[in-house]
Amino acid sequence: MASRRRMLLKVIILGDSGVGKTSLMNQYVNKKFSNQYKATIGADFLTKEIQVEDRLFTLQMLILPFLQIWDTAGQERFQSLGVAFYRGADCCVLVYDVNVVKSFDNLNNWREEFLIQASPSDPENFPFVVLGNKIDVDGGNSRVVSEKKAKAWCASKGNIPYFETSAKEGINVEAAFECIAKNALKNEPEEEIYLPDTVDMAGSSRLQSSSSGCEC
Amino acid sequence: MRLREDARSLIFTNLCSMLGTFFLGLGSVYIKSKEAPAKDILKDLVEMCRGIQHPVRGLFLRNYLCQISRDKLPDIGSEYGGDGDSINDAVEFVLQNFTEMNKLWVRMHHQGPIREKEKREKERSELRDLVGKNLHVLSQIDGVDLDMYRDTVLPRALEQVVNCKDDLAQHYLMDCIIQVFPDEYHLQTLETLLGACPQLQPNVDIKMVLSQLMDRLSNYAASSTEVLPEFLQVGAFAKLSNAIGKVIDSQPEMPVFGSITLYVSLLTFTLRVHPDRLDYVDQVLAACVKKLSCLPRIEDKKATKQIVALLSAPIEKYNDIDTALKLSNYPRVMDHLDNATNKVMAVVIIQSIMKNNTYISTSDKVDALFELIKGLIRDMEDTDDEELDEDDFKEEQNSVARLIHMLYNDDPEEMLKIIYAVRKHILLGGHKRLVFTVPPLVFSALKLVRRLHCQEGDVIGEDVPATPKKIFQLLHQTVEALSVVPSPELALRLYLQCAEAANDCDLEPVAYAFFTQAFVLYEEEVADSKAQVTAIHLIIGTLQRMNIFGVENRDTLTHKATGYSAKLLKKPDQCRAVYACSHLFWVDDQDGIKDGERVLLCLKRALRIANAAQQMANVTRGSSGPVTLFVEILNKYIYFFEKGNPQITSSAIQGLIELIMTEMQSDNSLSEPSMDAFFSSTLRYIQFQKQKGGVMGEKYEPVKV
Ligand SMILES: Nc1nc2c(ncn2[C@@H]2O[C@H](COP(=O)(O)OP(=O)(O)OP(=O)(O)O)[C@@H](O)[C@H]2O)c(=O)[nH]1
Ligand SMILES: [Mg+2]
Repeated sequence: MASRRRMLLKVIILGDSGVGKTSLMNQYVNKKFSNQYKATIGADFLTKEIQVEDRLFTLQMLILPFLQIWDTAGQERFQSLGVAFYRGADCCVLVYDVNVVKSFDNLNNWREEFLIQASPSDPENFPFVVLGNKIDVDGGNSRVVSEKKAKAWCASKGNIPYFETSAKEGINVEAAFECIAKNALKNEPEEEIYLPDTVDMAGSSRLQSSSSGCEC
Repeated sequence: MRLREDARSLIFTNLCSMLGTFFLGLGSVYIKSKEAPAKDILKDLVEMCRGIQHPVRGLFLRNYLCQISRDKLPDIGSEYGGDGDSINDAVEFVLQNFTEMNKLWVRMHHQGPIREKEKREKERSELRDLVGKNLHVLSQIDGVDLDMYRDTVLPRALEQVVNCKDDLAQHYLMDCIIQVFPDEYHLQTLETLLGACPQLQPNVDIKMVLSQLMDRLSNYAASSTEVLPEFLQVGAFAKLSNAIGKVIDSQPEMPVFGSITLYVSLLTFTLRVHPDRLDYVDQVLAACVKKLSCLPRIEDKKATKQIVALLSAPIEKYNDIDTALKLSNYPRVMDHLDNATNKVMAVVIIQSIMKNNTYISTSDKVDALFELIKGLIRDMEDTDDEELDEDDFKEEQNSVARLIHMLYNDDPEEMLKIIYAVRKHILLGGHKRLVFTVPPLVFSALKLVRRLHCQEGDVIGEDVPATPKKIFQLLHQTVEALSVVPSPELALRLYLQCAEAANDCDLEPVAYAFFTQAFVLYEEEVADSKAQVTAIHLIIGTLQRMNIFGVENRDTLTHKATGYSAKLLKKPDQCRAVYACSHLFWVDDQDGIKDGERVLLCLKRALRIANAAQQMANVTRGSSGPVTLFVEILNKYIYFFEKGNPQITSSAIQGLIELIMTEMQSDNSLSEPSMDAFFSSTLRYIQFQKQKGGVMGEKYEPVKV
């Protein structure tokens, strides 16, 4: 095993505060859910070993905050930090809360944010996945964004796959991430990052790529 | 040059992090491999970082340290530790890292040239999450339970926040603490958290911090009813209210907008957590009044917007103005609004009433409500008439008109009181408003009259205050008030409405009096010829429906009405009004009047006028006008013919048809397609009746078409 090389699939998770990004990730990776709301500060990540089509991968999931550093000039120093987070992303997951209309309206901004920060070589075909979370709340009675409306938006942005999830009940979480991983895999990575198995440095790969990114 | 330096610093930062990666990566391997106690390695790592004093580099390095060690922290249940000690170690480790990072971050503020201060603060602000991350990590450690949070984490974190004496750091970190730790913890440590607020630097935006906290707790309260007892148990309202009072008192320079924002948050909190405690809501409003009363009338747009938010919150919550009317401080807050905003608020209140279909059911409530919305009801002092937009005014007054229909009680006594109350208020409103407010009041009163009439029998007796007679007196005076506007046409319509209602209540003298009023207005005030035409048709229509008049009264009124008709300015108008009068003498009821002779007189008179009109057209235009009037009269003939008026004969109809045909064929007649169509369909109708046979067919038999 020690000599096996695993490929890293990097997934960026974006969405308004409180929509359940951390909860989805925790449900997927640790099968745990908590009602307590502890906001995430800055970037956050988790990794999971997965198997797709008989191959092993390390799925790295990054939750990123909104970087507001594009409005003024002279911010190159920290810009590099932002770009580093996004570099090499294979898939971008946009999350909203079906009970909060604003979080749905903001999907567009999040998508733009991703395209600007990550500037993928083929933005038209870059894989996105949209998750409408918290479908369990109040038995669906407090929902304000309909499935139809969400699907229409996804269709208008190049047929983005759409899932309705509940991190709390674990509904559709597995299926959604399976789709996310498959789509990430489809996005043929430009450079494959191999990690030695013995040193678990999942967390460090980010800064590693940040330094390599600045050498040019 | 600056750029170069930046670039160099960037490269160095990256070098550092590469180095860090190496060492820390090594460190994490050690922790994982359990070869050395986790605690020692962590300590070493922190020590190692001490060497780096350049703030930005240090921050990145320590942030990295914080990240990398996160999932390797000795933690309860984890494989690297598990006893209480190691949790303490982990917490200690992150707290230390937090303290050091914050120091580095604050130091950035003091380095470099003064002139770049602004830019530097901006950069600094962008690095804030590196520091905040530590708090996030603390919140993620499972072992940090409420006790640990209350006894160690919160006091230590607050100590650093307060002691660093840096505006940016204090605001940001307070916010972080509020956001990263769960609501249950905040509730149980409210005093500690709130206690730190007055110790912050004077420039820190405490209202934002407190608003965030209250908004968060409000959301928590709204999330489930099960959590509400927690709020009660800790007395959250009193603590928050107290803290806000202290903050406002200790910061006299805080703009009004700021203090009101705080009250808005507290009110939102109260409404969500204690919806049943109106006294709390009133307390918040009272505190706001107290603050506002030390200040001159608010001009600041942002502040007024907040006051509107403050006042709208209870209405939205209770969906019921009744509840807001119980809040004694509600109108007192409104008094502090400028006139324009006062009106906006009044409209919000009315909209809420309409939307929720709330009936305002007592005269006391009506008084309270009109006091609240007085900005719409009467002219306020120091209003500039110039600034009043005509359309806005109409819109406002229309909403008041709609509101009047929502002032209602099933009990006639109370309803009458309500009507008196409304009347009192709207009569103060000045002549511009009366045209909007009098009609709905009149109709509201007429509704009551009809209701009383229907249930007559239960309530008879002279001492009953709510009698139709009494209400009619009130109506009389109310409509009369329109004379100051003046708006004779509107008043005339309303008098006629009253007359009809009096008719339905079998009050002949009252009905007669209203007609007299309408006629007086017609004679003395309605001058415009078009308005006269409209008025005369209204008069005829109403009079036709009256059935209580004795012969004498009726004759007087119909005589007047026909007289007016014949005196209209234009011949066609005269003609139409006169033939309409024919209906006054033939009411198609069982015991309605049926005076065939006078019907015929009217129709003949109408014919004469039509003839005269035709001749006049010949003189002025050289051609006769269209035969419209004749065809219209023909239709009247047909109507009365079918109704069995013996005076209307088939030969008269025949004669009229021939007359029209001759007119149409004459050289100088003006042909008009719609006219031809009207005439030919009239003829077709006769044809149809003939063919149908039966009694009617026989009647038509002699008519040749
Ligand atoms: N009922 C329900 N609650 C959920 C669900 N997902 C998340 N939550 C709750 O929503 C709150 C916010 O969830 P988080 O996962 O922290 O949201 P986030 O997107 O990470 O928020 P930030 O870190 O502030 O950006 C928490 O109280 C969760 O318990 C869900 O599917 N159903
Ligand atoms: Mg989160």
